[in-house]
Amino acid sequence: MTRVIVITSGKGGVGKTTTSASISSGLALRGFKTAVIDFDVGLRNLDLIMGCERRVVYDLVNVINGEANLSQALIKDKHCDNLFILPASQTRDKDALTEEGVEKVLKDLSHQGFDYVVCDSPAGIERGAVMALTFADEAIVVSNPEVSSVRDSDRILGILQSKSRRAIEGREPVKEHLLITRYSPKRVEEGEMLSYKDVQELLRVPLIGVIPESDDVLQASNQGTPAIHLKDSDVAFAYQDVVARFLSEDRPLRFVSYEKPGILKRLFGGK
Amino acid sequence: MADASQGKLIEFKGASLAVMTAYVRETDAVRLADAMHMMMGGMPDFFAGEPVVLDFSQLAGAPDWVDWTAITSLLRRYQVQPIGVRHLPEHLHEGARRANLAMLGKEGMSAERPVATPQPAAPVPQPEPVAAPAPAPAPEPVAEAQPATGNTAAPTLIVERPLRSGQQIYAKGGDLVLLAGMSPGSEVIADGSIHVYGPLRGRALAGARGDTSARIFSTNFGPELVSIAGVYRTFERGIPQNAAGRAAQVRLIGSDNQHTLEITPLQNDH
Repeated sequence: MTRVIVITSGKGGVGKTTTSASISSGLALRGFKTAVIDFDVGLRNLDLIMGCERRVVYDLVNVINGEANLSQALIKDKHCDNLFILPASQTRDKDALTEEGVEKVLKDLSHQGFDYVVCDSPAGIERGAVMALTFADEAIVVSNPEVSSVRDSDRILGILQSKSRRAIEGREPVKEHLLITRYSPKRVEEGEMLSYKDVQELLRVPLIGVIPESDDVLQASNQGTPAIHLKDSDVAFAYQDVVARFLSEDRPLRFVSYEKPGILKRLFGGK
Repeated sequence: MADASQGKLIEFKGASLAVMTAYVRETDAVRLADAMHMMMGGMPDFFAGEPVVLDFSQLAGAPDWVDWTAITSLLRRYQVQPIGVRHLPEHLHEGARRANLAMLGKEGMSAERPVATPQPAAPVPQPEPVAAPAPAPAPEPVAEAQPATGNTAAPTLIVERPLRSGQQIYAKGGDLVLLAGMSPGSEVIADGSIHVYGPLRGRALAGARGDTSARIFSTNFGPELVSIAGVYRTFERGIPQNAAGRAAQVRLIGSDNQHTLEITPLQNDH
């Protein structure tokens, strides 16, 4: 059975696409046949983050309109054999997405034996975002440790509760996960940033991980490599932990406490 | 389909129903239309066909004549179904009867919501009875209490999931119980009391139809706004220290038109 995961947040710039790229890559690395769909029609980004922008021929809207079939539009990832990318259209707008069209694409992916379909939601709460979450089985709500982001995440959780198919049909609700990104333990320590505990307390959704703020993310984006593939990077480790927890493995939280780097620590290489 | 009731195609039994009362203070249809528009402008179907008793006990002046057709059709336009009148000056009875409105005496029908504790017999006119808060239309009301169909107890609406920013719940005619708290930017409205197990962080409006005995309870008090029977309070300068983040209740104290909201921490708080 194919599981549909939506990566959503309400607010823009919090790291949805980075997260979509890394989680879909992580699932593919674990051997699951995975597709990642960019729902941000008109502001296509996922293909850049995945480094496949030059191979885009057909897109999600073409498939929905029947101008291309799914196999033509799916782009095979350059890092993982089991990962396929369905890019968004750059020239159309979000009204091109229809519920029937999206449902058909997801059904076809299911028939092709995909284990996971990761839906990268656009920011906002309009059509594109609603389409991305309509068919979700699980939702990873991405939030920055900052009040306006938390408020928007809360709003999107409400929309999940009211507009997802699972909610409308009265089935078991969408499984919600909270992912906190761009976390800086140092700034939390200094009282400039909400702690992950504060955010979780406000949203009351199980925490699936905390991704530290890092320059590595920008670097990965520029290279077109999902951050999870970076070598010796806290961000990559944190995303690997997220994937593990998503697959019900037990992993302690890392990169959430700040310790002033001391000489002893450097010598003995403590955590 | 019990045998005993088979023979009777119609059966008359006494029943006391909770019915909304509209205190009409003006009989000029044009001025009433203005007032209704001001109050209900954003939500023309707020009442959803509810039956209403028109109460004229607070009528200003004594008009010689009332245009019942205009008033009833105005109310129907707002999905309010007038079923009868009470406290109407004697000389206006004939017209009301011709407009198919029932005459309800003081004891003819209990128009107040049944109260569990015994109350003084005389019905106390409530200060702001029709001041339904006419809340700003919210994009997605997630639930609404079913109107009581035939049973006398006001329904309690129980919500088990957390209420999120932008969501709104209205418990019509009764109490509202939230089992998973509510977030900033959400709104709960109840005609009765509001009980929040968990954080109360949005707007909570109890006694929305003027029940001054309604209260608001929370195990983790931190609202943006609380209101009881139209008396409201915001917290721009913060929540009172003794109640913030703790179990607390809000109630209306004072009498007549001198109501104030009192916020007190509850005992047994750890």
